[in-house]
Amino acid sequence: MKMSEAEKIAYRRDARRGIDDECLQGGLQRIQNHFGKGAMRYWGEMADDGLRDRVKHSRMETLENLDVVLAMLADNIEEAGGHVYYARTAEDATDYCRRVAKKNEVSSVIKGKSMISAEIGLDAALEAEGIAVTETDLGEFVIQLAEDKPSHIIAPCIHLDRQRIGRLFQEKLDIPYSDEPPVLTQAARRALRKIMLEADMGITGCNFAVAETGKISLVSNEGNIRMSTTMPRIHLALMGIERTAATMSDHQGMLQLLTRGATLQKLSTYVSFVGGPRRPGDPDGPEEFHLVMIDNGRSRILADQEFREVLACIRCGACLNICPVYGKIGGHAYNSPYPGPIGAVVSPLLFGINRYADLCKGESLCGACLDVCPVKIDLPRLLLALRRKLAYGDPAWQTRKHKRTEAMVFRLWRALIASGPLYRLALRCAGILQKPFISETGMIKKMAGPASAWTRDRDLPPLASEPFSGRWKKKYRQAAAKGPSEVDNG
Amino acid sequence: MDEKGAFLAPIRKALGYPQEEVRTAGECRRLFDCGDEGDIVDRIKYRTHVEKQSLLKRMTENAAPLNLGVHPASSLAAAADLISDIVRAASPEFSDTRQIIQHDVDDIASLQLWKKFAGKAVTVHTTYQADMAVREKAIASYVGITAPRWAIADSATIVEITGAGRPRSTSLLPSVHIALLRIEHLLAELGEVYALLRRTPPQESFLFISGPSKTADIEAHMVHGAHGPREMHLVVIDERMTADTSYQGSGLFPAE
Repeated sequence: MKMSEAEKIAYRRDARRGIDDECLQGGLQRIQNHFGKGAMRYWGEMADDGLRDRVKHSRMETLENLDVVLAMLADNIEEAGGHVYYARTAEDATDYCRRVAKKNEVSSVIKGKSMISAEIGLDAALEAEGIAVTETDLGEFVIQLAEDKPSHIIAPCIHLDRQRIGRLFQEKLDIPYSDEPPVLTQAARRALRKIMLEADMGITGCNFAVAETGKISLVSNEGNIRMSTTMPRIHLALMGIERTAATMSDHQGMLQLLTRGATLQKLSTYVSFVGGPRRPGDPDGPEEFHLVMIDNGRSRILADQEFREVLACIRCGACLNICPVYGKIGGHAYNSPYPGPIGAVVSPLLFGINRYADLCKGESLCGACLDVCPVKIDLPRLLLALRRKLAYGDPAWQTRKHKRTEAMVFRLWRALIASGPLYRLALRCAGILQKPFISETGMIKKMAGPASAWTRDRDLPPLASEPFSGRWKKKYRQAAAKGPSEVDNG
Repeated sequence: MDEKGAFLAPIRKALGYPQEEVRTAGECRRLFDCGDEGDIVDRIKYRTHVEKQSLLKRMTENAAPLNLGVHPASSLAAAADLISDIVRAASPEFSDTRQIIQHDVDDIASLQLWKKFAGKAVTVHTTYQADMAVREKAIASYVGITAPRWAIADSATIVEITGAGRPRSTSLLPSVHIALLRIEHLLAELGEVYALLRRTPPQESFLFISGPSKTADIEAHMVHGAHGPREMHLVVIDERMTADTSYQGSGLFPAE
């Protein structure tokens, strides 16, 4: 319970910080105006409008047969000479990575952007062994230099502007100050090339693995993932068990939706398919290939029919680009490698519903995330399901019935609104009682007692002087007198 | 139970199957049944040359916004002229010497690029299978020349199946990447590549490339040349094209 309190404070505090951060607000606006709106427009215009439903269907079917799909993937990887490790927990996974690194006397690791590596806390585990870990995605590299955390799953450093990055590079890369993106990119290109060519081990995530062919596929625009999978002696790929496609045919749809949803691209610049060490005669590629399949709470989500759908996610980040809540508070408030609406569902399920209780309550349930999701995951439904777990308790998810007083208030409320005369009386009383609280802006800025929590971060519109039912009746009477064609919605 | 069995058991349980009973792919055949790609393969097979030429036009249009240059050439000789012009116009980024590296495939060998650069201080490396120093040569080279298996007009993508004689690094480490393709291997859209890949799944690793490396991580500002090549060209050989539309040293790139 202590944990939960601590996280709660962080959500409120970090959301407030996000709202106050002008630099972040600029970045959020840029990304939401371009990518979020762009994705909505594209789904509306796309020629093959059945694609999203087909991919969703294949995602669910794959999940329903995940045991078979994973077994086939593992067999095919092993047949190609790769190693497969089965990690039940985050510790299993980091221990294995550490063992592989130690056995091969690895002193330098380069990483391709991977959220699951953050989920399992890999960097700290490797650094504790004295291994140098370098992020190679430009955004992640900036984040690493700034000792910061990513705030978006596709564009990790949208909360930093070019001036801040310029000063950071001046200090850490020892170059003259510039705030020109081409100059900064070139500086990172030079600094990272040397590190990438000398690294002993490349660690990447896995966008989608294909069971049938025993290949994992990775997308990137920069080419850093190709570097990480090609140049070092060892390539180790981390994969959440849900990131699988049964066939290449399934893969095609997922890939197309991923690059559209994420960045409005037909295809990303690079899509690499790898699945083993270099073969006899191969001029390059790693000498060793490891695939780490990670459960870390996913089979528990899989077992719950209510939440299984969230595992269909292809991690494109489109929901971040449209969400009005994420669009204001930014990614850091979610305190998870998975921010935004998808994070508000998946973080509680992976890391504890109590600990991440605020996330599902913070989202607005406006439904934009469902509309923009390439695979139409019903995130609003899932958010409500989480709130239900928190309100009514579920031993299977270690949630307890929420506050008794709150439950009692709602029971009273139910009785009240079910009775017309009582409700009207209560409204009239409240209408009078609210008067001293209405500020000059016409909004209630502060309420008394326990209700004050409501107005801590937002204003409340006061009760109308005339209730809706009254206005409706009046309107209806007038309209009935005039004739039905003139009824408007006013 | 082995590690794999122990890992999959809870997943089976989550799905409502007995934990101890290993299920096989035969039990979910529908999942692995993706229909017949025969129609698509036939469509590719019976595509006329004129249709391929219109695909090339589409490819060129779609490549432009990606900063991928598409250049038609009526012969290997014209392609060699074109490529040597690109090589001359580019300058080394990471070294002081002019070295280029090319895949060990017949069409590229027939270009005889080394002849073009005789006495010009440009060293031409070929990625022979027996050469142990391919990595170092790729690192030192500023131009990489590869022969992709196919290209896709709709998304302006080339498909490379890498392996012996065709290293991955040739299209990755040099600052300029030139791909050489025959128009016969030009496809219409992504689905066609997937159909061909399904028909004969490659054992090797393979990759799709659509233009030069890029990033928009700093304030969504697009910059070409993040970690891969900053410049990319696709040279398409169409031996049945009329000579006047072919490359004739049109001054696209300034000669030395």
